Amino acid sequence: MAIVLNTLLVIITSLAIPGVINRTRALLAGRQGMPFTQHLRNVNLLMKKSTVYSTTTTALFRIAPAIYLGAAIVAMLFIPVADLYPLISFDGDVICFAYTLALARIIIIFAAMDTGSSFEGMGAAREALYGALIEPALMIGFATLALFCGYTSFAEIFEHEQTFDLHLTIVMLLTAFLFVNITFVESGRVPVDDPRTHLELTMIHEVMCLDYCGIDMAMIHIASWIKCACFSMIAANAIAATCCFNWWFATPLAILLTGLSVGVVESTQGRNKLVRNTTFIVTISALAALIFFIGYLLKLDINI
Amino acid sequence: MFYLYLLPTLALLVAALFLSPLRSKVWVALASVVTMALAAAIPAIGVLSSTKSLTIMEFTSPIFGQESLSIDPLSALFLLIIGVAGIATILYSKGYLEQYLQKKSSAHISLHYSSLVVLILSMMLVVVSSGGFSFLFAWELMTIASFLLILFDAERAEVLRAAVAYLIMMHIGFIFLVAGFATIYSITSSGDFANLAICFSNGKTILLFILFLLGFGMKAGLFPMHVWLPEAHPAAPSHVSAIMSGVMIKTGVYGIMRVMWYVVDMADLQIIGTIILAVGIITGLWGVILAAVQNDAKRLLAYSSIENIGVIFIGLGIATLGQAAGNHLVATIALCGALLHTVNHSLFKSLLFFGAGNIYSQMHTTLLDRFGGVAKHMPVTAILFFIATLAICALPPLNGFVGEFLIYLGMLDSVRDNVNTVYAAGGLLSLALIGGIAVLAFSKLYSTIFLGSPRHHHVAESQEVDNVRIGAMAIPAAAIILIGLFPQFAIRIVEVVALQFTPYTEPVVSQYLSPALTKLSLTAWLLVIIIALLYVIKSRAQRSRTIDQGPTWGCGFTSPNIRMQYTGESFAEGLESIATSFTQDTVEGRAVSKSEIFPSSHNYNVRHKDKIDRLFAAWWVELLHMINKRVMNLLRTSKINLYIAYALIFLVVIFVLSLLKLI
Repeated sequence: MAIVLNTLLVIITSLAIPGVINRTRALLAGRQGMPFTQHLRNVNLLMKKSTVYSTTTTALFRIAPAIYLGAAIVAMLFIPVADLYPLISFDGDVICFAYTLALARIIIIFAAMDTGSSFEGMGAAREALYGALIEPALMIGFATLALFCGYTSFAEIFEHEQTFDLHLTIVMLLTAFLFVNITFVESGRVPVDDPRTHLELTMIHEVMCLDYCGIDMAMIHIASWIKCACFSMIAANAIAATCCFNWWFATPLAILLTGLSVGVVESTQGRNKLVRNTTFIVTISALAALIFFIGYLLKLDINI
Repeated sequence: MFYLYLLPTLALLVAALFLSPLRSKVWVALASVVTMALAAAIPAIGVLSSTKSLTIMEFTSPIFGQESLSIDPLSALFLLIIGVAGIATILYSKGYLEQYLQKKSSAHISLHYSSLVVLILSMMLVVVSSGGFSFLFAWELMTIASFLLILFDAERAEVLRAAVAYLIMMHIGFIFLVAGFATIYSITSSGDFANLAICFSNGKTILLFILFLLGFGMKAGLFPMHVWLPEAHPAAPSHVSAIMSGVMIKTGVYGIMRVMWYVVDMADLQIIGTIILAVGIITGLWGVILAAVQNDAKRLLAYSSIENIGVIFIGLGIATLGQAAGNHLVATIALCGALLHTVNHSLFKSLLFFGAGNIYSQMHTTLLDRFGGVAKHMPVTAILFFIATLAICALPPLNGFVGEFLIYLGMLDSVRDNVNTVYAAGGLLSLALIGGIAVLAFSKLYSTIFLGSPRHHHVAESQEVDNVRIGAMAIPAAAIILIGLFPQFAIRIVEVVALQFTPYTEPVVSQYLSPALTKLSLTAWLLVIIIALLYVIKSRAQRSRTIDQGPTWGCGFTSPNIRMQYTGESFAEGLESIATSFTQDTVEGRAVSKSEIFPSSHNYNVRHKDKIDRLFAAWWVELLHMINKRVMNLLRTSKINLYIAYALIFLVVIFVLSLLKLI
């Protein structure tokens, strides 16, 4: 029962976040904005459309959306909502989560390169580089959680009963901050990538799916939402671990945390120049290492 | 005694290969390798299932005293790796050498097959020999056999250069090994590995260990001794690269593990673990960054081998540190990871080199930017290469992931237990970066070769290769998938080996990890099932809608052409801009500058060379040149009065020196 609820909540989160982002942006810009469920209607429309495939592509291009979405779904099954239990949980499932998402990444890179388009090549090359540079941040983030909670699976890390502990609170808040930053990079949001841009030369994630349409595009959209929700849920869980361990706290937090922060950042800030992106991402990795060290020092109980 | 058996066997094998008709040489070679593999596999499986080592024969060697041939679980595992890779290699060579049968002389082909068989035999001897003279003998045999194999295309100048460089570097390593065994012999009057325990308890552990690390590291391709690898592999025929990269360099890993086994002092073990971890991290990062910027498929694969050796050493390092700190469970898990990665790498790297061989035999080049869209012409090769690519990037649900999962788990558990936390976190950080850049390197490799539009007219003329080669490639491919989907069985085999290093007597890892590995296997299946389901759903949904074909969308640009396609070079440009300090670029021609609004035709050819090459190549020659130039410029002034002054100074000096009775 808890497992079904857990999975449902993650799905709800993934469906709700794009809506919250759009509403936040509209509010901040003083616009009426699109309805909350507009993104779902768009995907529904895409599902009904017919498809055009490029003659350059191979069968890989047609299977890629299925692998992309499949990998995202499997990654989602690892994510708990606060104290609930995910469908799959074992020692070291954090690693499995990271590498399942890496599978999603390489497949979409292949699909982009399969079209032989220079634009999609650009996107693929950037995605490959940024993905490589963000990986250490992700892993060291998990290491921080493992060090502090004494477990190596998501479910146990976040389920673990704890009384209020100042050290834990500090580390968890820092980790949550780290994962919000990782969410920006992994789901291709400002300041790394701007999904609303109209210039293919500066896109990353959007440009990789230029040749997809119809149901394939719908699958890619859904997969991106799921990926975003996974990271957002990890960040929310980390915050929830400091005060109350309940799903009714973590779910809205996950939706609002990413929804609001992405919405606000996208309304107030421009996208980085592409050359600055590497610096930005490496900084996140450095930040992750720093957080790990703070965690390590706090764990050692040295009076700082 | 042993040599009485060995030398006639070798002579018989070589004679059989030389005397058999041209077309049946491969079958003779295959028969002998299958015989050797079976003869090795039966006792090896016995040893692995009973965990008791087996002594085949004991004898006295000419120099180093008492020695023996024996199989313990570690040797057994390597024997199995060598056997499988050996059979696949010979089978593959049948198809690959087909086109050379007319071009090369019969003796040449015989020499090649003899070296191949001798290489496989010598690797088997290396892992069963207990050390001392027989070990060094087998080691040297292995070097010479592989040298002859690299020389197959000796009429190409770069092949000759690479082969000679390989031979020289291997002998530098050999000197260290001889020194190591001589040290053991001088202390214990036998060159046996087992006597290392006595040497290590006498102090000076670290020095002796470093001696062996240098010797074995040369073969394994540890940084900075890796420079022979990216030269030798592109030069050698593909099946030779496959066995050298997949198996032969692992004998270096084997040697290090064999030596580590006998270190008893925990403080020493801590230092050794730190050294191994540090070397592993540097080797892995250097290998993967250099791999990502290469423009040649086989060179890229060679650098990726260096990277994987680095990954194996990271696992070994964590295991050693865990052992030293008394965290035996972590040590066993990480060691299982390192061993499994050794097995895995031999599988997917062979498959990748076979795939590179397929495209080379069709298009006669391995330069990445000459390919594109090969998947349409060679679909089976493309699928097999795809499997190997995903596996080497350590992506689920294939075998590469299982190995790296164990290494990661060792490090995470180490962090969790707060033992060696900083080391483990360093390893974690580096391994994550290595994994990320490996995805970049291999997505570049696969997509520039197999995907997109052809960049050269050769591609259109290429065809799928013969079924024998496909069959040879199916052997590692099947193993890759099986280990990926059933990790819990693979772990049992490597665990037997890992337990030899730890104080445990029962299979702790498979007990401790049993729920995790079962669920890992379930996750792999789930992933496959969900993907299949999604694809079926998608295809069904598309049935009622029209599916059109059209050109790739050019974003409104009306005449896109193939030359605008991303190349391998442009794909890795972002990384290159970060990693400039790792490489030395040689540029031919000129790139289009930003100020050129209407670019004219350009010829631009760039090669990213390893900076470490200079360490072994001609830095001192350059230095001599430079000094010579400076000094000569100072002295050679073309002014006659100065030359007379030099003569005068010379006479004065002679005079003064003779006055002082110095001459």
